Amino acid sequence: MKRLRLIFQLSIVAAAAFAGVRYALGKSLVSVETYCPFGGLETAWSFFTRRRFSCAAGETNLALFIALIVLTILARKAFCGWVCPAGALFEWEAKLARRVFKRRDFSGVWPVPAKVDRALKIGLRIAVLGLVLVATWKTGELVFRGYDPYYIVFSAHGHDVKAWSYLVLAALLGLGLVMPMAWCKYLCPLGAALWPASIAGRLRLARNEHHCTGCGACDKNCPQDLPVSRVKELTSGECTLCLECTAACPTPQALELRWSAVPRPKGKR
Amino acid sequence: MRAPAWIIPVLVVVCTAAGIGGSRLLVAPSLVHTFADAAPTADARTAQMVVEGVKCVDTAERAVAQLNELDGVLKCVAYAARARLDVTYDPARTSAPAIREALEAPVLVPATGEYLFGLYQVVELDGEKIADVDD
Repeated sequence: MKRLRLIFQLSIVAAAAFAGVRYALGKSLVSVETYCPFGGLETAWSFFTRRRFSCAAGETNLALFIALIVLTILARKAFCGWVCPAGALFEWEAKLARRVFKRRDFSGVWPVPAKVDRALKIGLRIAVLGLVLVATWKTGELVFRGYDPYYIVFSAHGHDVKAWSYLVLAALLGLGLVMPMAWCKYLCPLGAALWPASIAGRLRLARNEHHCTGCGACDKNCPQDLPVSRVKELTSGECTLCLECTAACPTPQALELRWSAVPRPKGKR
Repeated sequence: MRAPAWIIPVLVVVCTAAGIGGSRLLVAPSLVHTFADAAPTADARTAQMVVEGVKCVDTAERAVAQLNELDGVLKCVAYAARARLDVTYDPARTSAPAIREALEAPVLVPATGEYLFGLYQVVELDGEKIADVDD
Protein backbone atom coordinates (compact mmCIF):
# COMPACT_ATOMS: atom_id res chain seq x y z
CA MET A 1 0.00 0.00 0.00
CA LYS A 2 2.97 2.28 0.69
CA ARG A 3 4.15 1.75 -2.89
CA LEU A 4 0.68 2.34 -4.30
CA ARG A 5 0.44 5.64 -2.44
CA LEU A 6 3.83 6.69 -3.80
CA ILE A 7 2.62 5.83 -7.32
CA PHE A 8 -0.49 7.96 -6.72
CA GLN A 9 1.60 10.89 -5.50
CA LEU A 10 4.21 10.65 -8.27
CA SER A 11 1.52 10.37 -10.96
CA ILE A 12 -0.36 13.40 -9.68
CA VAL A 13 2.79 15.50 -9.25
CA ALA A 14 3.88 14.55 -12.80
CA ALA A 15 0.41 15.29 -14.23
CA ALA A 16 0.26 18.69 -12.49
CA ALA A 17 3.76 19.62 -13.68
CA PHE A 18 2.92 18.49 -17.23
CA ALA A 19 -0.35 20.46 -17.23
CA GLY A 20 1.42 23.56 -15.89
CA VAL A 21 4.16 23.48 -18.51
CA ARG A 22 1.68 22.83 -21.36
CA TYR A 23 -0.42 25.80 -20.24
CA ALA A 24 2.62 28.04 -19.88
CA LEU A 25 3.77 27.10 -23.39
CA GLY A 26 0.33 27.86 -24.81
CA LYS A 27 -0.27 24.21 -25.78
CA SER A 28 -3.35 23.93 -23.59
CA LEU A 29 -6.06 26.22 -22.25
CA VAL A 30 -6.47 24.18 -19.05
CA SER A 31 -4.38 25.56 -16.20
CA VAL A 32 -3.37 23.72 -13.02
CA GLU A 33 -5.92 25.86 -11.19
CA THR A 34 -8.77 24.04 -12.90
CA TYR A 35 -8.28 20.97 -10.70
CA CYS A 36 -7.64 22.72 -7.39
CA PRO A 37 -10.51 22.05 -4.97
CA PHE A 38 -9.57 25.07 -2.89
CA GLY A 39 -10.58 27.24 -5.84
CA GLY A 40 -14.04 25.71 -5.38
CA LEU A 41 -14.22 26.95 -1.81
CA GLU A 42 -12.93 30.39 -2.84
CA THR A 43 -15.66 30.74 -5.44
CA ALA A 44 -18.45 29.04 -3.44
CA TRP A 45 -19.81 32.30 -2.02
CA SER A 46 -19.96 33.93 -5.43
CA PHE A 47 -21.57 30.84 -6.96
CA PHE A 48 -24.28 30.39 -4.33
CA THR A 49 -25.14 34.09 -3.97
CA ARG A 50 -24.73 35.41 -7.53
CA ARG A 51 -24.56 32.29 -9.70
CA ARG A 52 -21.19 33.48 -10.97
CA PHE A 53 -17.69 32.11 -10.62
CA SER A 54 -14.87 34.28 -9.27
CA CYS A 55 -11.87 35.09 -11.39
CA ALA A 56 -10.53 31.93 -13.10
CA ALA A 57 -12.43 29.44 -10.94
CA GLY A 58 -15.07 27.24 -12.50
CA GLU A 59 -17.44 24.36 -12.03
CA THR A 60 -14.65 21.74 -11.84
CA ASN A 61 -13.14 23.50 -8.81
CA LEU A 62 -16.48 23.64 -7.02
CA ALA A 63 -17.48 20.06 -7.87
CA LEU A 64 -14.08 18.78 -6.74
CA PHE A 65 -14.40 20.68 -3.48
CA ILE A 66 -17.84 19.14 -2.80
CA ALA A 67 -16.46 15.68 -3.70
CA LEU A 68 -13.52 16.37 -1.39
CA ILE A 69 -15.86 17.07 1.53
CA VAL A 70 -17.58 13.73 0.88
CA LEU A 71 -14.20 11.98 0.67
CA THR A 72 -13.10 13.62 3.93
CA ILE A 73 -16.26 12.54 5.74
CA LEU A 74 -15.54 8.99 4.60
CA ALA A 75 -11.75 8.79 4.59
CA ARG A 76 -10.58 11.82 6.54
CA LYS A 77 -7.68 13.75 5.00
CA ALA A 78 -6.87 11.01 2.50
CA PHE A 79 -6.76 13.79 -0.11
CA CYS A 80 -3.75 15.36 1.65
CA GLY A 81 -1.86 12.08 1.89
CA TRP A 82 -2.79 10.55 -1.45
CA VAL A 83 -3.65 13.34 -3.89
CA CYS A 84 -2.41 16.83 -2.97
CA PRO A 85 0.77 17.53 -4.99
CA ALA A 86 1.92 20.22 -2.52
CA GLY A 87 1.35 17.77 0.34
CA ALA A 88 3.46 15.19 -1.51
CA LEU A 89 6.33 17.66 -1.99
CA PHE A 90 6.34 18.70 1.66
CA GLU A 91 6.14 15.08 2.77
CA TRP A 92 9.09 14.11 0.57
CA GLU A 93 11.02 17.08 1.92
CA ALA A 94 10.24 15.98 5.50
CA LYS A 95 11.40 12.42 4.75
CA LEU A 96 14.58 13.68 3.09
CA ALA A 97 15.34 16.00 6.01
CA ARG A 98 14.73 13.16 8.45
CA ARG A 99 17.22 10.98 6.59
CA VAL A 100 19.85 13.68 6.05
CA PHE A 101 19.74 14.99 9.61
CA LYS A 102 19.38 11.45 11.00
CA ARG A 103 16.27 12.24 13.03
CA ARG A 104 14.27 9.58 14.83
CA ASP A 105 10.88 11.00 13.96
CA PHE A 106 9.05 13.89 12.27
CA SER A 107 8.95 16.22 15.28
CA GLY A 108 11.66 18.46 13.77
CA VAL A 109 14.43 20.55 15.30
CA TRP A 110 12.15 22.25 17.79
CA PRO A 111 9.38 19.86 18.80
CA VAL A 112 6.25 21.96 19.29
CA PRO A 113 4.52 21.44 22.66
CA ALA A 114 1.15 19.73 22.27
CA LYS A 115 -0.89 22.75 23.39
CA VAL A 116 0.94 25.16 21.06
CA ASP A 117 0.68 22.61 18.26
CA ARG A 118 -3.09 22.40 18.70
CA ALA A 119 -3.46 26.18 18.96
CA LEU A 120 -1.47 26.69 15.75
CA LYS A 121 -3.31 23.93 13.88
CA ILE A 122 -6.67 25.42 14.74
CA GLY A 123 -6.04 29.14 15.23
CA LEU A 124 -3.39 29.96 12.65
CA ARG A 125 -4.84 27.86 9.87
CA ILE A 126 -8.36 29.17 10.42
CA ALA A 127 -6.99 32.73 10.43
CA VAL A 128 -5.25 32.06 7.08
CA LEU A 129 -8.42 30.48 5.71
CA GLY A 130 -10.59 33.40 6.86
CA LEU A 131 -8.19 35.96 5.43
CA VAL A 132 -8.02 34.23 2.04
CA LEU A 133 -11.79 33.76 1.77
CA VAL A 134 -12.68 37.31 2.82
CA ALA A 135 -10.07 38.78 0.44
CA THR A 136 -11.36 36.61 -2.41
CA TRP A 137 -14.99 37.45 -1.77
CA LYS A 138 -14.25 41.17 -1.45
CA THR A 139 -12.07 41.48 -4.53
CA GLY A 140 -13.43 38.72 -6.77
CA GLU A 141 -9.79 37.77 -7.43
CA LEU A 142 -8.03 34.55 -6.44
CA VAL A 143 -5.64 36.51 -4.22
CA PHE A 144 -4.11 33.38 -2.70
CA ARG A 145 -2.37 32.35 -5.93
CA GLY A 146 0.85 34.21 -5.26
CA TYR A 147 1.26 32.51 -1.87
CA ASP A 148 -0.02 29.04 -2.73
CA PRO A 149 2.89 26.56 -2.97
CA TYR A 150 0.85 24.33 -5.29
CA TYR A 151 0.27 27.18 -7.72
CA ILE A 152 3.80 28.61 -7.42
CA VAL A 153 5.41 25.22 -8.13
CA PHE A 154 3.08 23.79 -10.75
CA SER A 155 1.84 26.82 -12.71
CA ALA A 156 5.27 27.26 -14.34
CA HIS A 157 5.46 30.94 -13.40
CA GLY A 158 1.74 31.46 -13.87
CA HIS A 159 -0.33 34.62 -13.56
CA ASP A 160 0.15 36.39 -10.18
CA VAL A 161 3.37 34.51 -9.43
CA LYS A 162 5.89 37.25 -8.67
CA ALA A 163 9.49 37.25 -7.44
CA TRP A 164 8.29 37.39 -3.84
CA SER A 165 6.17 34.27 -4.46
CA TYR A 166 9.40 32.29 -4.85
CA LEU A 167 10.66 33.84 -1.61
CA VAL A 168 7.47 32.64 0.08
CA LEU A 169 8.04 29.16 -1.37
CA ALA A 170 11.69 29.17 -0.27
CA ALA A 171 10.63 30.26 3.24
CA LEU A 172 8.05 27.47 3.42
CA LEU A 173 10.59 24.89 2.26
CA GLY A 174 13.11 26.25 4.77
CA LEU A 175 10.52 26.07 7.52
CA GLY A 176 9.72 22.51 6.45
CA LEU A 177 13.33 21.48 7.13
CA VAL A 178 13.20 22.48 10.79
CA MET A 179 9.48 21.93 11.32
CA PRO A 180 8.42 19.04 9.06
CA MET A 181 5.18 19.55 7.11
CA ALA A 182 4.81 23.04 8.63
CA TRP A 183 2.75 24.26 5.65
CA CYS A 184 0.28 21.37 5.86
CA LYS A 185 0.03 21.39 9.65
CA TYR A 186 -0.10 25.11 10.43
CA LEU A 187 -0.83 27.18 7.33
CA CYS A 188 -2.76 25.30 4.63
CA PRO A 189 -6.23 26.90 4.37
CA LEU A 190 -7.67 23.85 2.63
CA GLY A 191 -6.51 21.76 5.59
CA ALA A 192 -8.40 24.14 7.89
CA ALA A 193 -11.54 23.90 5.76
CA LEU A 194 -11.41 20.10 5.80
CA TRP A 195 -10.64 19.81 9.49
CA PRO A 196 -14.26 19.61 10.82
CA ALA A 197 -15.19 16.99 8.21
CA SER A 198 -11.99 15.09 8.96
CA ILE A 199 -12.79 14.88 12.67
CA ALA A 200 -16.14 13.35 11.73
CA GLY A 201 -14.39 11.03 9.23
CA ARG A 202 -15.54 7.43 9.48
CA LEU A 203 -12.45 5.54 8.39
CA ARG A 204 -10.05 5.44 11.32
CA LEU A 205 -6.92 3.72 12.47
CA ALA A 206 -7.42 1.70 15.61
CA ARG A 207 -4.74 0.23 17.85
CA ASN A 208 -5.27 -3.23 19.20
CA GLU A 209 -3.85 -3.13 22.71
CA HIS A 210 -3.53 -6.92 22.89
CA HIS A 211 -1.15 -6.99 19.93
CA CYS A 212 0.64 -3.64 20.39
CA THR A 213 4.10 -3.94 21.95
CA GLY A 214 4.38 -0.19 22.53
CA CYS A 215 7.57 0.07 20.47
CA GLY A 216 6.49 3.48 19.13
CA ALA A 217 7.47 2.74 15.50
CA CYS A 218 4.11 4.17 14.40
CA ASP A 219 4.76 7.50 16.15
CA LYS A 220 8.23 7.80 14.67
CA ASN A 221 7.00 7.20 11.13
CA CYS A 222 3.90 9.40 11.13
CA PRO A 223 4.66 12.39 8.85
CA GLN A 224 2.04 14.39 10.78
CA ASP A 225 3.79 13.50 14.04
CA LEU A 226 0.60 12.11 15.59
CA PRO A 227 0.73 10.07 18.82
CA VAL A 228 -0.57 6.84 17.27
CA SER A 229 0.80 4.55 20.01
CA ARG A 230 -0.84 6.56 22.79
CA VAL A 231 -4.45 6.34 21.65
CA LYS A 232 -6.89 3.51 21.18
CA GLU A 233 -8.45 5.05 18.10
CA LEU A 234 -6.85 7.83 16.06
CA THR A 235 -9.50 10.55 16.09
CA SER A 236 -7.22 13.46 15.18
CA GLY A 237 -8.47 15.53 12.28
CA GLU A 238 -4.92 15.56 10.91
CA CYS A 239 -4.63 11.86 10.02
CA THR A 240 -4.14 11.56 6.25
CA LEU A 241 -4.51 7.77 6.20
CA CYS A 242 -1.08 7.55 4.60
CA LEU A 243 -0.63 4.20 6.39
CA GLU A 244 3.05 4.89 7.13
CA CYS A 245 2.31 3.76 10.69
CA THR A 246 0.86 0.40 9.67
CA ALA A 247 3.78 -0.17 7.29
CA ALA A 248 6.27 0.54 10.10
CA CYS A 249 4.45 -1.53 12.72
CA PRO A 250 6.37 -4.77 13.41
CA THR A 251 3.33 -6.57 14.81
CA PRO A 252 0.60 -7.63 12.42
CA GLN A 253 -2.90 -6.64 13.56
CA ALA A 254 -1.64 -4.15 16.13
CA LEU A 255 -2.91 -1.34 13.92
CA GLU A 256 -5.91 -1.79 11.74
CA LEU A 257 -8.24 0.31 9.68
CA ARG A 258 -11.83 0.45 10.90
CA TRP A 259 -15.12 1.98 9.87
CA SER A 260 -16.14 3.91 12.91
CA ALA A 261 -19.84 3.71 13.75
CA VAL A 262 -21.85 6.92 13.37
CA PRO A 263 -22.61 8.10 16.92
CA ARG A 264 -26.33 7.92 17.72
CA PRO A 265 -28.11 10.78 19.44
CA LYS A 266 -28.55 10.19 23.18
CA GLY A 267 -31.89 8.67 24.23
CA LYS A 268 -32.36 6.83 20.91
CA ARG A 269 -31.67 3.19 20.30
CA MET B 1 -15.99 -2.85 11.55
CA ARG B 2 -12.63 -3.70 10.02
CA ALA B 3 -11.88 -2.11 6.64
CA PRO B 4 -9.36 -3.23 4.03
CA ALA B 5 -6.56 -0.78 3.21
CA TRP B 6 -7.45 -0.77 -0.49
CA ILE B 7 -10.65 1.08 0.36
CA ILE B 8 -8.63 4.32 0.67
CA PRO B 9 -7.37 4.52 -2.95
CA VAL B 10 -10.77 3.29 -4.16
CA LEU B 11 -12.55 6.11 -2.29
CA VAL B 12 -9.99 8.65 -3.54
CA VAL B 13 -10.50 7.58 -7.17
CA VAL B 14 -14.30 7.36 -6.92
CA CYS B 15 -14.67 10.77 -5.24
CA THR B 16 -12.27 12.45 -7.69
CA ALA B 17 -14.08 10.93 -10.67
CA ALA B 18 -17.44 11.94 -9.17
CA GLY B 19 -16.13 15.48 -8.69
CA ILE B 20 -14.91 15.84 -12.25
CA GLY B 21 -18.05 14.15 -13.67
CA GLY B 22 -20.36 16.12 -11.40
CA SER B 23 -18.96 19.44 -12.55
CA ARG B 24 -21.48 19.38 -15.40
CA LEU B 25 -24.23 19.95 -12.83
CA LEU B 26 -22.69 23.19 -11.57
CA VAL B 27 -22.20 25.14 -14.78
CA ALA B 28 -22.39 28.89 -14.25
CA PRO B 29 -20.84 31.82 -16.10
CA SER B 30 -18.02 34.03 -14.93
CA LEU B 31 -19.52 37.05 -16.66
CA VAL B 32 -22.78 37.96 -18.43
CA HIS B 33 -22.85 41.15 -20.47
CA THR B 34 -25.87 42.46 -22.36
CA PHE B 35 -24.97 45.20 -24.82
CA ALA B 36 -26.69 48.52 -24.26
CA ASP B 37 -28.20 48.97 -27.73
CA ALA B 38 -29.14 45.32 -28.13
CA ALA B 39 -32.55 45.27 -29.74
CA PRO B 40 -34.23 41.89 -29.28
CA THR B 41 -34.55 39.82 -32.43
CA ALA B 42 -36.25 36.51 -33.10
CA ASP B 43 -33.44 35.33 -35.38
CA ALA B 44 -30.62 35.78 -32.86
CA ARG B 45 -27.81 33.23 -33.07
CA THR B 46 -25.19 32.24 -30.54
CA ALA B 47 -21.60 31.53 -31.52
CA GLN B 48 -19.67 29.40 -29.04
CA MET B 49 -16.02 30.39 -29.10
CA VAL B 50 -13.00 29.08 -27.26
CA VAL B 51 -10.74 32.09 -26.95
CA GLU B 52 -7.10 31.89 -25.98
CA GLY B 53 -6.49 34.82 -23.63
CA VAL B 54 -9.77 34.53 -21.72
CA LYS B 55 -8.40 33.31 -18.38
CA CYS B 56 -10.42 35.09 -15.72
CA VAL B 57 -13.23 37.61 -15.23
CA ASP B 58 -10.91 40.56 -15.99
CA THR B 59 -9.65 39.15 -19.28
CA ALA B 60 -13.21 38.16 -20.20
CA GLU B 61 -14.39 41.75 -19.52
CA ARG B 62 -11.64 43.08 -21.75
CA ALA B 63 -12.61 40.62 -24.50
CA VAL B 64 -16.25 41.69 -24.20
CA ALA B 65 -15.16 45.34 -24.51
CA GLN B 66 -13.65 44.42 -27.90
CA LEU B 67 -17.19 43.80 -29.13
CA ASN B 68 -18.60 47.15 -27.97
CA GLU B 69 -18.07 48.82 -31.33
CA LEU B 70 -19.48 45.93 -33.34
CA ASP B 71 -23.07 46.46 -34.43
CA GLY B 72 -25.40 43.50 -33.96
CA VAL B 73 -23.81 41.86 -30.91
CA LEU B 74 -26.55 41.36 -28.33
CA LYS B 75 -25.09 39.43 -25.42
CA CYS B 76 -21.87 37.80 -24.29
CA VAL B 77 -21.57 35.07 -21.67
CA ALA B 78 -18.06 34.12 -20.52
CA TYR B 79 -16.93 30.88 -18.89
CA ALA B 80 -13.38 31.80 -17.86
CA ALA B 81 -12.33 28.38 -16.55
CA ARG B 82 -13.00 26.92 -20.00
CA ALA B 83 -11.81 30.00 -21.95
CA ARG B 84 -15.24 30.04 -23.59
CA LEU B 85 -17.34 32.94 -24.83
CA ASP B 86 -20.94 32.47 -25.98
CA VAL B 87 -21.72 35.48 -28.14
CA THR B 88 -25.34 36.08 -29.15
CA TYR B 89 -25.74 38.22 -32.24
CA ASP B 90 -28.20 39.36 -34.89
CA PRO B 91 -27.21 37.54 -38.11
CA ALA B 92 -28.77 40.33 -40.20
CA ARG B 93 -26.25 42.83 -38.81
CA THR B 94 -23.10 40.82 -38.09
CA SER B 95 -21.58 37.36 -38.36
CA ALA B 96 -19.39 34.93 -36.44
CA PRO B 97 -16.27 35.74 -38.55
CA ALA B 98 -16.80 39.47 -37.90
CA ILE B 99 -17.05 38.78 -34.14
CA ARG B 100 -13.87 36.71 -34.33
CA GLU B 101 -12.11 39.53 -36.16
CA ALA B 102 -13.22 42.07 -33.54
CA LEU B 103 -12.03 39.82 -30.71
CA GLU B 104 -8.63 39.29 -32.30
CA ALA B 105 -8.09 42.98 -33.08
CA PRO B 106 -5.38 44.86 -31.15
CA VAL B 107 -6.50 45.83 -27.67
CA LEU B 108 -6.20 49.47 -26.63
CA VAL B 109 -4.88 50.05 -23.10
CA PRO B 110 -6.61 53.32 -22.10
CA ALA B 111 -4.08 54.14 -19.38
CA THR B 112 -1.07 54.15 -21.71
CA GLY B 113 -2.69 54.59 -25.11
CA GLU B 114 -0.76 51.52 -26.30
CA TYR B 115 -2.15 48.72 -28.40
CA LEU B 116 -1.58 45.11 -27.42
CA PHE B 117 -1.45 42.68 -30.31
CA GLY B 118 -2.45 39.03 -30.24
CA LEU B 119 -4.05 39.22 -26.81
CA TYR B 120 -7.02 37.11 -27.89
CA GLN B 121 -7.15 34.34 -30.40
CA VAL B 122 -10.26 32.36 -31.26
CA VAL B 123 -9.14 28.73 -31.42
CA GLU B 124 -12.51 27.03 -31.65
CA LEU B 125 -15.80 28.15 -33.14
CA ASP B 126 -19.04 26.22 -32.59
CA GLY B 127 -17.14 23.07 -31.68
CA GLU B 128 -14.76 23.18 -34.64
CA LYS B 129 -11.07 23.99 -34.40
CA ILE B 130 -10.44 27.30 -36.09
CA ALA B 131 -8.09 25.76 -38.70
CA ASP B 132 -10.98 23.55 -39.80
CA VAL B 133 -13.28 26.56 -39.97
CA ASP B 134 -10.77 28.43 -42.14
CA ASP B 135 -10.49 25.47 -44.51
